[in-house]
Amino acid sequence: MINAFNYTLPIIYFALVWTYGKAFFADKLWAKRAKTPILIGTIALHLLSLAVRAITFRHPPVTTIFEIFTALACSVAVTYYVIELYSKHKETGYFILNIAFFFQLASSIFIKDTPEVPEILRSPFFGTHVSSALLGYAAITIAGAYGLMYLMLYHEMKATRFGVIYKKLPTLETLERMTFTSVTLAFSLLSIAIFFGFVWLNRAIANPNYFDPKFIGTIVIWAIYGFIVIAKTLSGWRGRKVMILSIVGFLISIFSMTIINIFFSRFHKFY
Amino acid sequence: MNLLCIGISHYTAPLDIREKLWFSSEETSQILSLLKSIGIGECVMFSTCNRTELYVLTENNMLPSEEIKGILITQKSAEGKVQLSDLFTLSAGEAARHLFRVAAGIDSMVLGDVQILAQVKEGFQLATELGTAGIFMNRLFQLAFRAGKRVRTETEIGDGAVSVSYAAVELAEKIFDDLNKKSALVIGAGETADLAATHLRGKKIGKLFITNRTQEHAEQLAAKVQGTVIPFSNLFNTIYDADIVISSIEVNRFILTATDIQRALKRHGNKTLFIIDIGVPRNIDPEVKNIENVFLYDLDTLNLMVEENLRKRGAEIPKVEAIITEVLAELTHWYSSLEVNPTITALTQFMENIRQEELAKNINRFDPKDRELVELVTKRIINKIIHAPIVNLRNGQETSLTERLQRMSAIQKLFGIANLSKEDPNA
Repeated sequence: MINAFNYTLPIIYFALVWTYGKAFFADKLWAKRAKTPILIGTIALHLLSLAVRAITFRHPPVTTIFEIFTALACSVAVTYYVIELYSKHKETGYFILNIAFFFQLASSIFIKDTPEVPEILRSPFFGTHVSSALLGYAAITIAGAYGLMYLMLYHEMKATRFGVIYKKLPTLETLERMTFTSVTLAFSLLSIAIFFGFVWLNRAIANPNYFDPKFIGTIVIWAIYGFIVIAKTLSGWRGRKVMILSIVGFLISIFSMTIINIFFSRFHKFY
Repeated sequence: MNLLCIGISHYTAPLDIREKLWFSSEETSQILSLLKSIGIGECVMFSTCNRTELYVLTENNMLPSEEIKGILITQKSAEGKVQLSDLFTLSAGEAARHLFRVAAGIDSMVLGDVQILAQVKEGFQLATELGTAGIFMNRLFQLAFRAGKRVRTETEIGDGAVSVSYAAVELAEKIFDDLNKKSALVIGAGETADLAATHLRGKKIGKLFITNRTQEHAEQLAAKVQGTVIPFSNLFNTIYDADIVISSIEVNRFILTATDIQRALKRHGNKTLFIIDIGVPRNIDPEVKNIENVFLYDLDTLNLMVEENLRKRGAEIPKVEAIITEVLAELTHWYSSLEVNPTITALTQFMENIRQEELAKNINRFDPKDRELVELVTKRIINKIIHAPIVNLRNGQETSLTERLQRMSAIQKLFGIANLSKEDPNA
């Protein structure tokens, strides 16, 4: 059953992204009509797969990096659905759901069954740490996607190209506002994740290494988002610079979650 | 279909002729009342800067189209200035197709014009109020509105700006979320500046500042668009407050340099600044384009945008024509269904269906030897019920077309046979 989900989910996410792409670039009526129902179906299937995984292995599926990737893909899809439902901007899905697809693809390829969970991962502090980090990374992903859309539209308009990007994306001001809202959320959630992670770390591990690359990487990401919030609020940083920073923050986050976590970190590996 | 369309448009006459046949609402009311008084049952008229069109439901004994043209010319006292040949005449399906094309915006001077549909609606509304739009015109114009609506939702015929001043405003709308919260500075008071200011006001711009070297012209424009006049000498201070700058004056040197804009941005809190330079020669240093968060567009860019949008709109015409053909087929079907014989056949069939249905349900309750009699009696009852309506419908052929259509429609509605006759108008 779990294997079936692992194979099915990336295919369904691919179909979802393809449909959103057809609606965005080719303006296909069928795609415009089908995209939201497919998104709802994908989310439902994904939630079911996470529930099955949680029941089968008797723990929430957030204990390994690739379990976190699948949960993150689902969080991004759900967040985007909420955006589509409550805002008038329904044309940004292609860019956001593409990222969800890649998270799910990586997860499906590398995920392993985790029947046994180490005792240190059963702490409530760990649960809060992971939940807030997961939501924080979802906000980072959304901020990165909106930042990318802003830069695409910015360059199209600067270069006086008035193609599909110009026609379909929301206004620059909307993209900037959505990016900044996501950045603020990301900063707040990362602050919570770091606080609870710190409390949990001191209880779980004797003499933890505060210079661990994972720890430093997370602080760098947190600092970048903190800097964006402060610079925009106090110094009037706007437009392109803010968007570039949000994309840099997203790329460092991915690097921290994958390369640093897998190859360089000592304390953030539990299997 | 006894429809006649008489009109004048940018295809048949130049502006100096067309304007002589422009009818205000009051004049339109007068001419519709006049036509009604001389026995024309149904007529609708609308008049815009590019066209005046009169739609008439004709009768066999009606005035010839040349006489109606004469009435239009006389009514405006334009004899000798407007010739009969300046007006066009279309009849039956071609007239209906023309109306649908007008409502869809593909007969307009600006392809895909969106305002025309509202103007056609106003004309129809006026005719309804005066009682000159009956059952036929009601159906015809409702279908025209449907065609106009479908065309705008199912095609891209109205997409993209097709005038330089509107293209400027459209670009601003791609940068800013809500123009109501923004300030615009219009430099100049000429025709292009006037249009841009009018479009900005139409888009409910928050604050609109006007400045011009000749203050008097700025004041006239400001009064027209409810703007605030800024002395030309105060131009630089106003730029700090503006999100949008539109410049259209004749100068031999740049009135705003990159340094001016950079200074303005610093005081502006590095907000996005949108600048349109439609002056010839250019009013604003093109180097401004390279400043971050500043969007500068000149006349060439806007012209390119307009040409590209017109090309895209032109490519949509086949889709629009297909929609019009569909709607026209619907009108033809409806009109055929209102003819006397199909309606009588549909009514007879409807009654016969009820009779047979009820007989089938209850025939076993009768003794076999009585069944033939029951069949005969029920047939007679049905025939007697429908005898009067059929006679009235047949006699109605001598009355006016409008009255005939009303009778036909009433019968169809009362007995619920509209769909029956639509399915098979020849039944």
